[in-house]
Amino acid sequence: MNKNKHLLLWSSLGTLVLLAMAAVQENYLKDWRAIQASMHTEAGPTEVRLRQIVAPRLRVTDRCVTCHVGMAPGEQGATGHVLAAAHPPVVHDPAEFGCTVCHGGQGRATEKADAHGDVRFWPTPMIPTRYAHAGCGSCHTHVQVPNRTVLNLGRNLFERHDCLACHRLDGRGGTLRPGRAGGMEGPDLSNAGARGFDQGWYAKHLRRARQRDDIAWKAGFAALDAPDLELIETFLATRVGAPRLIEAKALFHTLGCRGCHKIGGAGGDEGPDLARVGQKDPGQLDFRGVRGEHTLANWFSEHLRDPARVVPGSKMPRLGLDDEEIELVTFYLLSLRRTDAPEAFWPKDRIGVTRLGRREFGADGATLYSTFCAACHGASGQGRRFPGAPPMPAIGNADFLAVAPDAFLRSTIESGRPGRRMPAFGEASGGLRRDEVDAIVAHLRREAGVSEPETPHDTPRRVTADPARGKPLYERHCAGCHGPGGEGADAPALNHPVLQAAATDDYLVETIGRGRRGTPMHGFRQPSTMHPVLAPGDIEAIVAYLRTWEKSR
Amino acid sequence: MSTSAPRKRPLRAFLSDLVRSPRRIRDAAWRVGLPTSDRARSTFVFGNVFLHLHSVRTHRWSLRWSTTWGLGLAATAAFLVVLASGVLLMFYYKPYPDVAYDSIKDIHFIVPTGRFIRNIHRWSANVMVVAVLAHMARVFYTAAYRRPREFNWLVGMALLVVTLGLSFTGYLLPWDQLAYWAITIGANIAQSPRELTDAFGITPWFDPGGLQRELLLGSDIVGEEALIRFYVLHVMILPLALGALMAVHFWRIRKDGGMTRPWDADQRLGPGHDVYPVFTEAPQKTYQLAAIVRGTSPAVGRGPEHTVPSMPHLFYAELGVLMLTVFACLALSMAWDAPLKELANPAVPENPAKAPWYFLGLQELVAYSAFMGGVGIPAIVLLGLGLIPFLDREEAGTGVWFGGPGGGRLALASLGFGLGAVLAVEAFAIRFGWLREWFPDVPQLAITAVNPGTLLAAVYGAYSLWVVKRYGWARAGATALFTCFLSGFVVLTVIGTYFRGPNWTFYWSPADWPGH
Repeated sequence: MNKNKHLLLWSSLGTLVLLAMAAVQENYLKDWRAIQASMHTEAGPTEVRLRQIVAPRLRVTDRCVTCHVGMAPGEQGATGHVLAAAHPPVVHDPAEFGCTVCHGGQGRATEKADAHGDVRFWPTPMIPTRYAHAGCGSCHTHVQVPNRTVLNLGRNLFERHDCLACHRLDGRGGTLRPGRAGGMEGPDLSNAGARGFDQGWYAKHLRRARQRDDIAWKAGFAALDAPDLELIETFLATRVGAPRLIEAKALFHTLGCRGCHKIGGAGGDEGPDLARVGQKDPGQLDFRGVRGEHTLANWFSEHLRDPARVVPGSKMPRLGLDDEEIELVTFYLLSLRRTDAPEAFWPKDRIGVTRLGRREFGADGATLYSTFCAACHGASGQGRRFPGAPPMPAIGNADFLAVAPDAFLRSTIESGRPGRRMPAFGEASGGLRRDEVDAIVAHLRREAGVSEPETPHDTPRRVTADPARGKPLYERHCAGCHGPGGEGADAPALNHPVLQAAATDDYLVETIGRGRRGTPMHGFRQPSTMHPVLAPGDIEAIVAYLRTWEKSR
Repeated sequence: MSTSAPRKRPLRAFLSDLVRSPRRIRDAAWRVGLPTSDRARSTFVFGNVFLHLHSVRTHRWSLRWSTTWGLGLAATAAFLVVLASGVLLMFYYKPYPDVAYDSIKDIHFIVPTGRFIRNIHRWSANVMVVAVLAHMARVFYTAAYRRPREFNWLVGMALLVVTLGLSFTGYLLPWDQLAYWAITIGANIAQSPRELTDAFGITPWFDPGGLQRELLLGSDIVGEEALIRFYVLHVMILPLALGALMAVHFWRIRKDGGMTRPWDADQRLGPGHDVYPVFTEAPQKTYQLAAIVRGTSPAVGRGPEHTVPSMPHLFYAELGVLMLTVFACLALSMAWDAPLKELANPAVPENPAKAPWYFLGLQELVAYSAFMGGVGIPAIVLLGLGLIPFLDREEAGTGVWFGGPGGGRLALASLGFGLGAVLAVEAFAIRFGWLREWFPDVPQLAITAVNPGTLLAAVYGAYSLWVVKRYGWARAGATALFTCFLSGFVVLTVIGTYFRGPNWTFYWSPADWPGH
């Protein structure tokens, strides 16, 4: 019995000790208690209590302000700790929206690692501070942004026309009123795109410049021509208070990533859809090929540096981006997220894109081309070759555009080359609308300075030569690059049904005859040291032979 | 005293009554006042609703630690801890998808000591499962299931099933990935009779598997209906069932003659220094009750000298085990947090998705045949366990660890055989695959019939029959079978827990898993 008494005594004492430990841990050892205890306001020490922001409709219960006391509603003015600092001024009041909607992390947690999401099993860790504006993407991912060239044209015009003399923009410009005390002449335009701006601003500026006689108006404002005005307005529409995010998105629309990746239904389908890629759970990612820290941002950076090292077997080529570009693309990828907040909280750009058919990429041909085509066909349509893969056609080539009718270009863009790398970009599969396809075609022609070829013959199929005569010619002169069966090797496939359907006989004859300067495709009408000149009949015979593949497929 | 005269000095009398009232309340509660003599203690135990389940005197054999190791009591104690912590959690938990997960997070982060309470609930539930299994093994190896305790053995099995049911239903409630996919697996196992009905092509007309799954989930998927079902089962129906079965179990311990002890327990114990004659105190109550108790009651036949008063001897032992269990549960909860993964996401399957650990042995078999692993083998095991006391009608070795023919050596040999067989079958299946890998077109029915699970069951059964023949005693066969199943359970559980990775592939270490 004594043994049992001892057992009872010691196990009871042990239990008491453990309970006391739990009580101490709960009441004295929580970090947030120490943090709050070290703060004080003018009225006295800060009250030590749990603080939270609750926004039921956003499903937000954020206790971040238990430590970040200075950001709690009505708690400004505390001092004594770095966490007493107030939130920098932003459009959205943290008291209304909470913290996690923008920053990610675990709002219900009250311990640092858990709250910041740096723990296992929390799929949405905080967005690192240097990419903080990526959080805007949760709601504002649909802001319309052109490509870098168009954006910079607008920016340069804005600066060249001295708008910064009166207006402040992203922390620059906005001089004091000349001759008067204090105050800027014009409003700060850093948020012009988010708040919207008066569509009649130009006319009003012009009127004032004529009517007012002070020097700021007389000398500071001159008339703009229509294209410049449009570029400036495009630029202003992107000023939403997150300049670096816009820069990142513009770069994304310059590199042509959407040629393989869809976002919001528009893009190719070679690579994965990126619409929610910024919400990937780092806990589910494979970091074995990643150097450096195990964060989503670093995973993106490393993947952009060398896709196949991070994702073994990835078909994505090494893009050869520099560090700054990698940083920007990573930034944009992190911003690709979607809240499931109720529609009442959606901003106008999200409604516009998802409900009213607006676009988040610029509608101009240059932006459309660089957004969807540049990754493979090159920034100026010069074609491109990635290691280990056949070259991509130079679609900006003047010789090509000189023989290819618009209908051929359109149908190639819309239908792609199923089975090959060129995806179909038509509205049903790639999300591009007819007017956007037309804009791309027009952009190609404008850049190359080549208008649509006149068709010498009305009938698309006019060649009646003997295919049997074309076969040996093809095998001698063409099969080396286009493959013995026209299946394509170092040069495009010629037996492809979409090509066969879209290409007119004239197009084929002229392409063989003229060739494409700047590419390995010779013109067989021109004399050359590499090959004999072919007679027109021979060329037509080759075309006739090419046509035999149309039925066999 | 019908017309009592007014008391003199009524105020003083009132005051003195007031002063005395605390003692009177105590006396009223204790019914016979503070027990000071053995007889008073006996009366006290007998008259107390909570204590009268005990006999007033306890045999010294029952009080030896090695008799029971307090395992049944530990299971009860763990249940009480689970009950108390569970009731606390019920104040905060909200049984609705997503909200449930948030409420667990709130319990973890802002409910005062909520994390500790949840840890206690989780770990003491595991302690309870372990204690129940160990208790069953103890009862088996001391042959304590024998006549007249056969029925209590069956009640104990029912308690085991309800305990596992409680654990399993509680598993879903946090609504995290772990829970969601474990229950998805559980629901698929419930549906596994389809493996048979599909093979015979009668599923459209006779679909017990689909019915079971629908009854369990209330829907086609694990969703809000499943959650509320599991919640009701977990906090009401199964605890009530467990309580009722526990009452029967304890009652039968008394009625069946207390703890089992060998017939020569008194000689084995030798003279005890704290033992003294009982009936010298001119008992007010005789042991007439003993006449309706089967078997030999403590006070009859063997002489009273080897019993001691339950109060305080037994109660110290019981309280000691109770507090030790509480301490163990609290210590576990202080050291480790209860698992909680990401919010349940039906679109992202866990890989591997694992059932609770005590079902991983079965899941290991489910990998070959859902029906055999989930329904067939457990049914065979439960049937075999239930039959043991009705086949073993012998008496040699009752109440002694590894008593009877073969003894500890047979148990050891069976352990060796059981481990060897299960390791060999598993190693073979892991190294060379099974029928599906060799003959991709083999009908599932063939795998249902011949898989590592059924093969093991057959090997164990054959070995046990051979042992019966060799020793000539059913008890020897039972020892062999029980030991084999125990070793099979342990090995399969360990493999399922530690050595199975994505797609249920064998890995020596989680560090080798692809993708992490």
